[in-house]
Amino acid sequence: MKRLLWLVPLAVAAWLLPYGLGGYAIHVADVAIIFAILAIGLGLTMGVAGQINLAQVAFFGVGAYAVAILTTKAGFGFWTAAALALLVAVVFGMLVGIPALRMQSHYLGIVTLGLALAFTNWVTNAHIAGRAEGISDIPVPPMFGIDLSSGYLFYYVELVVFAIALAFALLVTRSPLGRRLRAMRDDDLAAGSLGAEIPLLRMTAFVLSGLYGGLAGILYAGLIRFVAPESFNIANMFLLLAMVIIGGRSSIIGCVVGAVALSLVREALLDASGYAQLGYGLVVVLVVVFAPQGLAGLPGQIRSLLRRRAGGSRAQLGPFRPYGAAPASSREAALEVREVTKRFKGLVALDRVSLTVPTGEIRGIVGPNGSGKTTLFNVISGFYDPTQGSVALGGRDVTGMAPYRLSLRGVARTFQNLRLFEDLSVRENILLGLDRTRTSWIWRYPGLPWKVLDYERSLHRRGEELIERFGLTDVAGAGPRSLPYGVQRRIELARAMAMSPTLLLLDEPAAGLNGEEVRQLAEIVRSIRDSGVTVIVIEHNMGLVMSLCDQVTVLSSGKVIADGRPAEVAVHPDVVAAYLGDSMSAPTEATAEAAAEEATR
Amino acid sequence: MHFTRFSIAAAALTALAACAPPGQSASSEANATGPIKIANVNAQSGQLSSLGQWEHKGVKLAVDEANKAGGINGRQIKLDLFDDQGDPTVGTNLARKIASEGYIAMLGTAESAVTLAMSPILKDAKIPSITSGQSPKLAELKSPFMFLNAPTSVTFDETLAEYLVDDKGYKDIALISNNGAYGAGEHDAFLAALKTRNVTPLADEVVTPDQKDFNANLAKIREQDPEVLFIGAEEVQSGLIAKQARELGVKAVFAGGAPVGTDVYATTAGLENAEGTVVSSPYLSNEASEEIKAFAAKYKAAYNEEARMHVAKAYDGASILIEALKQTCGEGGQKLADAIRGVKRAGLLGNYAYDANGVGIHETKIGLLKDGKVVPEAAS
Amino acid sequence: MQVFLQTLIGGVTFGAVYALVAMGFSIVYRTMGLVNFAHGSVVMIGAYAASTFYMASKLPFAVAVLVAITVTALIGLVIERFLRPLENKDFTLMLIGTIGFGAVLEAGAVLVWGATGHAVPSPVATGPIDLAGVRIPTYSLLVIAVAAAATGLLALFLQRTKRGAAMQAVAMDHQAATAVGIHVGRSNAMAFAIGAGLAALAGSLIGPMLYVNPTMGGTLGIKGFAAAMLGGFGSMPGAIVGGLAFGLLDSFAAGNFQEYSELVTFLVFAVIVMIRPTGIFGETTVNRA
Repeated sequence: MKRLLWLVPLAVAAWLLPYGLGGYAIHVADVAIIFAILAIGLGLTMGVAGQINLAQVAFFGVGAYAVAILTTKAGFGFWTAAALALLVAVVFGMLVGIPALRMQSHYLGIVTLGLALAFTNWVTNAHIAGRAEGISDIPVPPMFGIDLSSGYLFYYVELVVFAIALAFALLVTRSPLGRRLRAMRDDDLAAGSLGAEIPLLRMTAFVLSGLYGGLAGILYAGLIRFVAPESFNIANMFLLLAMVIIGGRSSIIGCVVGAVALSLVREALLDASGYAQLGYGLVVVLVVVFAPQGLAGLPGQIRSLLRRRAGGSRAQLGPFRPYGAAPASSREAALEVREVTKRFKGLVALDRVSLTVPTGEIRGIVGPNGSGKTTLFNVISGFYDPTQGSVALGGRDVTGMAPYRLSLRGVARTFQNLRLFEDLSVRENILLGLDRTRTSWIWRYPGLPWKVLDYERSLHRRGEELIERFGLTDVAGAGPRSLPYGVQRRIELARAMAMSPTLLLLDEPAAGLNGEEVRQLAEIVRSIRDSGVTVIVIEHNMGLVMSLCDQVTVLSSGKVIADGRPAEVAVHPDVVAAYLGDSMSAPTEATAEAAAEEATR
Repeated sequence: MHFTRFSIAAAALTALAACAPPGQSASSEANATGPIKIANVNAQSGQLSSLGQWEHKGVKLAVDEANKAGGINGRQIKLDLFDDQGDPTVGTNLARKIASEGYIAMLGTAESAVTLAMSPILKDAKIPSITSGQSPKLAELKSPFMFLNAPTSVTFDETLAEYLVDDKGYKDIALISNNGAYGAGEHDAFLAALKTRNVTPLADEVVTPDQKDFNANLAKIREQDPEVLFIGAEEVQSGLIAKQARELGVKAVFAGGAPVGTDVYATTAGLENAEGTVVSSPYLSNEASEEIKAFAAKYKAAYNEEARMHVAKAYDGASILIEALKQTCGEGGQKLADAIRGVKRAGLLGNYAYDANGVGIHETKIGLLKDGKVVPEAAS
Repeated sequence: MQVFLQTLIGGVTFGAVYALVAMGFSIVYRTMGLVNFAHGSVVMIGAYAASTFYMASKLPFAVAVLVAITVTALIGLVIERFLRPLENKDFTLMLIGTIGFGAVLEAGAVLVWGATGHAVPSPVATGPIDLAGVRIPTYSLLVIAVAAAATGLLALFLQRTKRGAAMQAVAMDHQAATAVGIHVGRSNAMAFAIGAGLAALAGSLIGPMLYVNPTMGGTLGIKGFAAAMLGGFGSMPGAIVGGLAFGLLDSFAAGNFQEYSELVTFLVFAVIVMIRPTGIFGETTVNRA
């Protein structure tokens, strides 16, 4: 709780602010708070979840218009209308979010922008929405006899709403949901493989967007008591966008700061023009070019500049603490791949591949480049649907299941070219793996927020234990990008193990590692196997394969050409031919043994 | 010259003596010295910034003249410009700003939607405003602090319908208008005027304010072969409609409100396409009368561009306000509103006489476009 | 039938302009991975440049257009220098950065030319062609012809010249292109200059059709962008087909849905893009940004 102490003076200052402001200044403050709430919503969708949403102003309009129509045309009381308006805005948010299931980036941007234009077009035309002239005479919200037509008293209503909205946004960002949203923004494939339900998360982002837009719209209707189409046009969308970018889109506090700052700037520009517009445009361009993280990112930017000058310290990997041995629980096959074929537009990447991996085994998969090894992994982990054939886990058919479902069923994987979430710290990367909840769990956020905090605390406890086990204590707070390659490999392995998998898929885990690191890797993988996890390794380092794997499967041109103990496979004539054909040296028994010795030394 | 200045000074002196009431409270005494603050709110950026800039030039001309002539009883008028960006929300902010910073009157805005949004706040603060909007809704508000410096669309279109239907006997009439605040107002007013004459339009096409291609709409109108095409849109869009209509072979006479009387309309449509367009406007051209000619010359000298209706009505509005301020000795509030309502002025747009709804001019004139210039049509 | 054909002609004429705008978007995007939201404002600058030379300097229209293309392409080079840090970055940053730049261009135009704008007399004096009651304005034919010629020239340039091939290479693979000795920076600058030139062409063609003012770029930019997406972002044939498709969508919506046309246009657009996110021709470039 001590961390929150700095809030107290801030809250007192906010509470006392009206006493120092004139009648107009308080109105400016009221409007700024509304924009701050809007900016939080946009920050959540765009900054945190990475969904390019250019319809935020339309959500704002939906909230305001719904209140206006319900109070003036349908005769509802203000607060009843407000509750309904919030619902309408959320539903609208979900509708606009549907395209996000199919597209991202600028595609999503222009489609949401188009839908926002469609909304403005509708209110300009519909008689019920007052057409181009809008709706006036929205009633003053009643509040136990307090006259909310006064900007001063309305300020306090807004302040309370804003505080709750901000607290909820912070809860979301600093808890499992926010972490998943950020992971999705960084790399949705990797996030999916870690158990994040991408479609549901994207809809969640748009629901949040609609929620905050609607909230701001309701306050707007109560404050201005007039709505017209122009107030929700594209120019205001761009203004809002500028607020979020200048403030710093991935930081909720940054969004608030940006919103307040630009509201004040816009205020200052009311009696100037021409050059002011020019200046405004220039400021936006300069911020984007020189401070892409916005105002909120400036301290970090300065710090990293200073650190570069001081010379960074090399992070040290600690020793790995082995898992306790636990004998494999069942004797049935952990994985059964039957007759899997995968075609890409005429190219056959996998040709009737069959593979059975018993529980508690380390299986190596080798083969020349382009032989279909990673494609096989992608089929097993659900990234690709096989064209034909089936995949079964522990005896249950999982063919064509989405990556997040497979992840929840105990499949964890690493990637050939490392897919750590760059914008998250090492600790957060690991916490993501530890979080095994379904996305539907998020009903607790509005319902039982303290449970969320409890869960987050327990995640952190388990996270520290895992970080310590993998010797990552020194680097836990750093961003993955800043760390040496070998450390990043270790982090990815730890993240996969955080998911407590039953089947671990390692795609070239030794690539880029030095001899000592390869030796440590072998030790870790063995310990993982000993704890009862089945491991499948794709690897080019023959020494490692020979010494580590219980069984080796050889793929060539999408076909299994050999399967057996490492020493047998290495001398199999087809394997030798395949490797020679690929102009690589065939792993003879002698070199294999030598390499194995090297790896285990 | 000397004589006029002398007489103004004398009038000011007597007025000062006449209205310095005894026992003024301290606060109003503070208000009664120093410059009189008037706000001009108009879009200076965004889609309609050209309107806003014209309006401001007209207002500024009137105020500068008044100040040069000694101001209001010796007090100068301080005119401050605020940019509403064409956004009603910004408008409401500005209304509060004006109220809290001691402005006693507001001139503007040129956009009805913005003015409608500002009106309740100005009414609460008892700040009279003279707007350049012409939406009938402005009059429907019946705010005692809201005045229009031009007729509403109802007057424009009633006059137009009277000319087209009653005088000329046209019965085959088609409408095309946009769904913006101005276009929708025109559409409704003209349709109502036709209805009272039992004329049903052959076609009633509505477009969006951003639309540029009217082929589809005009082709439908062409099928009906109307005698008259009523255009309810802003200057540029009206011009585009006229141009594309002629290219499609629509032979109808074009008719519309003030926008089709402007050079922007005529040049956008092309002079020969715009030829013969029927304009209903209180301000037909810069040559309509001696006063207008003098004004146009004055305006050209000040800004080096041609005067136009927007400038003239803003000038009229400002002049009315100045006249009223002289009567109240710079006092605002209810007194100023009453004074404005009492002003009878032969302005550039006609004879101002305010009714209870704040409308000052109740008639427009009919003109025909010839060679890009509006020629008044003799009343029949 | 007449109404249908007439609507078609309006749609194709405006479609040709959208296609030019979309081509400008696409050539910049495919070469340097920049989604340039200032493109609409560049179109506006082009329209001003052409109409100013045409009207004030009394140059023949074709010459004025060429001068405008040159001037705007030069401005394009300057803009490219400014925006270079944004290339291949996070889309959000590009979005707001280029929008900011658009605001600068717009404010600049207001300062230079004023807020009022001007009408541009049509350079073609002859009346419209009458085909069985369907009127085709001669200027529309000119616009379609010029747009087609520009498309042809651009295709020739990209496929038959060394510079063009180099730009294609950069579009396909930055690193590989650098490896074989192509100056990527120069290629990018050139793409931007061509994009700006196309914008100027679109702007100067649309000047006499419409009215030139500082805010004209907004709608053109959004519609051109939507057209590019409809055809397949980054694909040149896609830009042309998308432009025409969007023009037709726009004009038929206006004819059939009156004031609700914008609503219908964008809903239909959203549904089409939902069904086929890569557009008509786009396949490979989707994961670029």
